[in-house]
Amino acid sequence: MQSRRHAPESEDTGIDLAPMLDFTTNLLIFFIITTSFIKEAGITVFKPEALTAVNRDSGNLLIAIRENGDIWMDRRRIELRDVRPQMERLHIERPDDTVVIIADKESDAGVVAKVMDEVRLAGITTMSIAADPAG
Amino acid sequence: MRKRRHASGDQEHTGIDLAPMLDFVTNLLIFFIITAVFVKESGLEVNRPTSFEQPEESDNESIQIQILSDGEIWVDNRAVDVRAVRANVERMSAVNPDSGVLILAQEQAPTGTLVEVVDQVHLGGIYNITFSTTQ
Repeated sequence: MQSRRHAPESEDTGIDLAPMLDFTTNLLIFFIITTSFIKEAGITVFKPEALTAVNRDSGNLLIAIRENGDIWMDRRRIELRDVRPQMERLHIERPDDTVVIIADKESDAGVVAKVMDEVRLAGITTMSIAADPAG
Repeated sequence: MRKRRHASGDQEHTGIDLAPMLDFVTNLLIFFIITAVFVKESGLEVNRPTSFEQPEESDNESIQIQILSDGEIWVDNRAVDVRAVRANVERMSAVNPDSGVLILAQEQAPTGTLVEVVDQVHLGGIYNITFSTTQ
């Protein structure tokens, strides 16, 4: 050690952190940009497939409907009558959010219609029914 | 430079210590990695008249498609296959180019069929779809 320190100049021998900092900052910026705070439904359902399904970037309030009619939102099972207050609260927090209804293939269209009504009554007019792009 | 280096007591480097900044940035990075959700929902958009107002049947031009609770699809008082919906819609939209489509689904109709019909109507070239349910 002694001999190494004396070798050419008496500079510091620590690792240069600057490149690591550059790298980490880049990673950080990437994650900041790609992060969108989505309210996940919390369950997986079998979505129908559609050829004309379009990707919507702004759809970030997800409501899932299971085949037995259960409604899931924000990782919790909720009742139909709770959809509206929840939506109203979230709509006030972030007014430009849109709703995606993830309905199971086997779920009743009536439940989907009722959920859509509740969402609309909460003041959110842009909503879509989730479908996997087919083919 | 030379002078300054000599002035300070030690012959160590005079740059800013980057370590605390790196700690901070790494913490931020970990936060964003943990909270990042990569969810992309693709879906189909449909209009939904509120239950309080009757679906607009005022313009007789609109094409009506009915979905029964067992998944049967009726267009023009005829039971048709899902694949025939597109042809029907194309034919009718050729007659009335600015007509919309009204999908009347029974409450128990499976959502999968509904989405398939919406998809077929989209393929038929009509994006003005209204969705309503009947008992």
